[in-house]
Amino acid sequence: MPTDAMTERLSTGSAIRFDGISKSFGDIEVLHDVTFDVQGGSIHALLGENGAGKSTLMKVLGGYHAPTRGRVVLDSTPVIFRSSRDAEAQGIVLIHQEFNLAEDLTVAQNIYLGHELGGALLDDAAMRRGALDVLARLEVRLDPGTRVRDLAVPMKQLVEIARALSRDARVLIMDEPTAALTPHETATLFALMRRLREDGVTILYISHKLDEVKAVTNRVTVLRDGEVVATADTAALSTTQMANLMVGRELEAMFPPRNAPGREELLGVDGLDVPGWSRDVSFTLSRGEILGFAGLVGAGRTESIEGLIGLRPHRVRGVRVRGRAVRLRSPADAARAGVVYLSEDRKGKGLHVNLGLRPNLTLMTLEHYARPLLDTRAEDTALTRAAQTFGIRTGRLDVPASSLSGGNQQKLALAKILEVHPEVVILDEPTRGVDVGAKQEIYALVGDLARQGKGVVVISSELPELLGLCHRLLVMHEGHVVGDLDAAGLTEQDVIQYATGLRGRTNGAGRGEHVPA
Amino acid sequence: MTHLTRLTALSLLLVASPALAQAKQIIGVSIPSADHGWTAGVVYHANQAKAMLEKMYPDVQIIVKTAKDSNEQANQIQDLLTVNKITALVILPQESAPLTRPVAALKAKGVFVTVVDRGLTDPKAQDAYVAGDNTAFGRVAGEYFVKQFGSAGANVVVLRGIPTVIDNLRVDAFKAAVAKAPKVKILDAKFGNWNRDDAFKVMQDYLTRFPKIDAVWASDDDMAVGVLKALEQAKRTDVKLVLGGAGMKEAIKKVMDGDKLMPVDVTYPPSMIADAIRLTVESRVKGTPMKATTLIPSVLVTPANAKNYYFPNSPF
Amino acid sequence: MRVASLGPLLGLLALMIVATLLNHDFLTVSNLSNVLTRAAFSGIIAVGMTFVIVSGGIDLSVGSMAALIAGSMILIMNALSTALGPGVLTIVLGMLAALVIGGLAGLFHGAVITRGRIEPFIVTLGTLGIYRAVLTYLAQGGAISLDSAVGDRYGPVYYGSMLGIPIPILVFTAVALLGGLILNRTRYGRYVQAIGSNEQVARFAAINVAGVKTMTYVLLGVCVGLATILYVPRLGSATPSTGLLWELEAIAAVIIGGTALRGGSGRIWGTVVGAVLLVTIENVLNLTNIISVYLNAAVTGFVIIGVAFFQRGRR
Repeated sequence: MPTDAMTERLSTGSAIRFDGISKSFGDIEVLHDVTFDVQGGSIHALLGENGAGKSTLMKVLGGYHAPTRGRVVLDSTPVIFRSSRDAEAQGIVLIHQEFNLAEDLTVAQNIYLGHELGGALLDDAAMRRGALDVLARLEVRLDPGTRVRDLAVPMKQLVEIARALSRDARVLIMDEPTAALTPHETATLFALMRRLREDGVTILYISHKLDEVKAVTNRVTVLRDGEVVATADTAALSTTQMANLMVGRELEAMFPPRNAPGREELLGVDGLDVPGWSRDVSFTLSRGEILGFAGLVGAGRTESIEGLIGLRPHRVRGVRVRGRAVRLRSPADAARAGVVYLSEDRKGKGLHVNLGLRPNLTLMTLEHYARPLLDTRAEDTALTRAAQTFGIRTGRLDVPASSLSGGNQQKLALAKILEVHPEVVILDEPTRGVDVGAKQEIYALVGDLARQGKGVVVISSELPELLGLCHRLLVMHEGHVVGDLDAAGLTEQDVIQYATGLRGRTNGAGRGEHVPA
Repeated sequence: MTHLTRLTALSLLLVASPALAQAKQIIGVSIPSADHGWTAGVVYHANQAKAMLEKMYPDVQIIVKTAKDSNEQANQIQDLLTVNKITALVILPQESAPLTRPVAALKAKGVFVTVVDRGLTDPKAQDAYVAGDNTAFGRVAGEYFVKQFGSAGANVVVLRGIPTVIDNLRVDAFKAAVAKAPKVKILDAKFGNWNRDDAFKVMQDYLTRFPKIDAVWASDDDMAVGVLKALEQAKRTDVKLVLGGAGMKEAIKKVMDGDKLMPVDVTYPPSMIADAIRLTVESRVKGTPMKATTLIPSVLVTPANAKNYYFPNSPF
Repeated sequence: MRVASLGPLLGLLALMIVATLLNHDFLTVSNLSNVLTRAAFSGIIAVGMTFVIVSGGIDLSVGSMAALIAGSMILIMNALSTALGPGVLTIVLGMLAALVIGGLAGLFHGAVITRGRIEPFIVTLGTLGIYRAVLTYLAQGGAISLDSAVGDRYGPVYYGSMLGIPIPILVFTAVALLGGLILNRTRYGRYVQAIGSNEQVARFAAINVAGVKTMTYVLLGVCVGLATILYVPRLGSATPSTGLLWELEAIAAVIIGGTALRGGSGRIWGTVVGAVLLVTIENVLNLTNIISVYLNAAVTGFVIIGVAFFQRGRR
């Protein structure tokens, strides 16, 4: 059986030495003479802002890129990988940040993709058993016959990890594996990582969540602009020091100071039902207020909002925008009423990554540029202005959105929805996959919006973010609002108790625990 | 009532009385669906023959089915046997090779098979064969060119149909006939796909390429329509003759009216299906054998005989 | 602009040089005008098709639609000619009918695709059969011919010229310019590209996705109607083989021109070059005698793949 055999072979974790690695794409060198050691059988964190070269370096190790100069030394033997298959043959497996799953195949088929068991005919039964075993090691209860398309995002992440485990990995590269995981799933993953380390597996761990890095890794290497700026024991660095090393300057406070929200109601939602996802969700949002939506993955936060603006079938007793009753049957209705929404799925629903920056920015407000032909010069002016206002950093403005880093893409998406001058801005996971520097900028933008008198709703799985940013938190559990809490003085533990259903109640108005500010 | 059906009616009357004594005959007719002018004519004539013959012979039932490709046709003749219990089959195959086995299977079950126009690859699969004469079609046209231009000489361009055995037979016979007059020169022969639009384009390009063309063998009345339009557009007066073929009613009308460019036509009549059905029914009803091969001759249509080939009610 | 994006244009130029070497008559005004006039039909349809493909759709029915419009238009004009006489009014009403029928067919496609949520491939594969069958029925398998008195008055729409340029070429040019302007410089064009690039993002960005998509099919239908208006006076008839395989020609022209089959980005000038290129290949083969006529389709195939090869870097 795969599991026993795997454990056997896992007991030989490899030491890795990056020896003067440089990598150029065309004229641009993105890695400069990177040299550091990774001890065998340790968990080694790789930190850096987006664009610092972490992913490129890991792709060199995973056999996806050949280094321009320098070499990778594996257990004191220099190795040259011509492809990711070469690397996998040496036991080096890369878990991609973006999912590389075939959506229409089953979980088991994906886990064994390219390494199918059986001879001329596939041995589906053996692959099913193997998949069950490896999922059990992750403590995931999931039928291996499920189609990946039908899985939620965190489950897909776990399938990715299971796939890597099913290879005989001696070196595991994890690129932001917890970005989509709930705290519980994250804890399970960490326990597994520690077990793998005991078994002698070397793990390279990339994450923006510094507290996680602090919790699970042995050593840390920080990259900035393609160069190593520090390698140290994790215990020797505080999270603040890590963040400062990453951005190369002292970070000011992560969150902007809170303003005092006004009294005028901007948005009122009364009795929103989204069949299959949420029941009787009611809330209000005041001018200048930042309202957080907390809850576990699957609690129905995103779905409620998608229902509210007409993207899903829904029923609602009443919606008021600035006191006027409105019906929102489509995002177009919502935008006209002054309510805009930025999806958590940036590449799938938020931004046209194949299109340029200009068409992305002006997509929702083209009527301002049509006279009747589009005035591209005016659009360019708007883009230049937006790039400045929102701090979108890119060499040139005539590139496709896909060439921007995650943080800059997110700022562009924000700029796009703010072009319509909305009253209410709903942001779903606004800092997912975004580096520390960009996170801080996005927080500052959200603070500015509130100060300008807009109402902001933030849906997030990161509790520190909600607690640091919001005036008030709405906690959802299994489709119901179970708490409407003043953020001041609230702790993560409080929120988790509501989110897991240990506290709060699901009364009709959904505001039983409301404590006025 | 058309000339052909009148003829058919007459011949049927002569054999009508003994037929009544026979057991019920069910004749299946399988033909291509009407996807261009000629096959539309086939469908028309098949239905005319059915109406006529069923009236003549109350004990004869004729089932006409059309198919858009060989596959559908193969399924269809199977159904004709198992569902309709036919005793004889008249088939104009979409393609020769793919239908040979299915037809042979029917014959093996005792169905009398008459194949029309496109011969099967194995002649043993059929009892009788009724066909137009493709060689004569090309030869008659070629001989007309020789008669018109043999002494004076002429530059001739040819439009071919679709690459098939039928087209090869016609074009080879035309070339062989024309070869007897060394002064008649064939400049080129390109495919116009028996289609007005393609013929228009090919002719346009011939006109660009050859400064002097005396005559065009369009080899099909539909293609002749495209050729005439191209000549009209280019305002070329050097072309003195356009010869089509098949016997489309508009083309026969031109011959009747004494058209300058199209004074004659060569027949390849879709009514051959009616002849085949008639011959098959007669043979079944009377119990007399049918000739193994009946060739429907291709003849030159001139103003003198044109009215014999004019069917204004037919779509073709 | 990178060299790769000029692939189709370079291909066309190369083909023209080869053609001229093989036969000097290629570069004559009359031949070039023949080529461009022929390209006008599939070219006008291809401009409409560019919108459909850029939005992420496809329309396989255009050839059949052209045949049906041609047949219907002729029947309408024949009927009007007995009532109104074979005058300008009859012809104008016939043209109007062609545009309306095309637009309605497109509206039907769009509605079934967006409201009925059926793949455009299937919807238009269905109508491909339906339109041609109806035309074949109307023609009883034969030809529908235009009343010759009307045909004589209508003829100049195809055979006539203005300032020495044949009318179909003028119309083609106008359609291409207008198409380019709409695709690249209007809100509507931007929405079409946004939907083709990622329909979900467009939906989330408050775009009326169903409306914009439906409109692409209507536009295409009107283009087919326009092409048919130019086609009918050429032969004065519609047969079941009218417009056969035009859909493939139009789609090929769009793709050769550099528009992605999966949608999102496209360019009208590329489509125009693609349409002209396809017609030119046929013309060159007719003007020369070096390759067996049996291999004509193979030559076309090689040229198409060759042009695609030159612009593969764009993906």
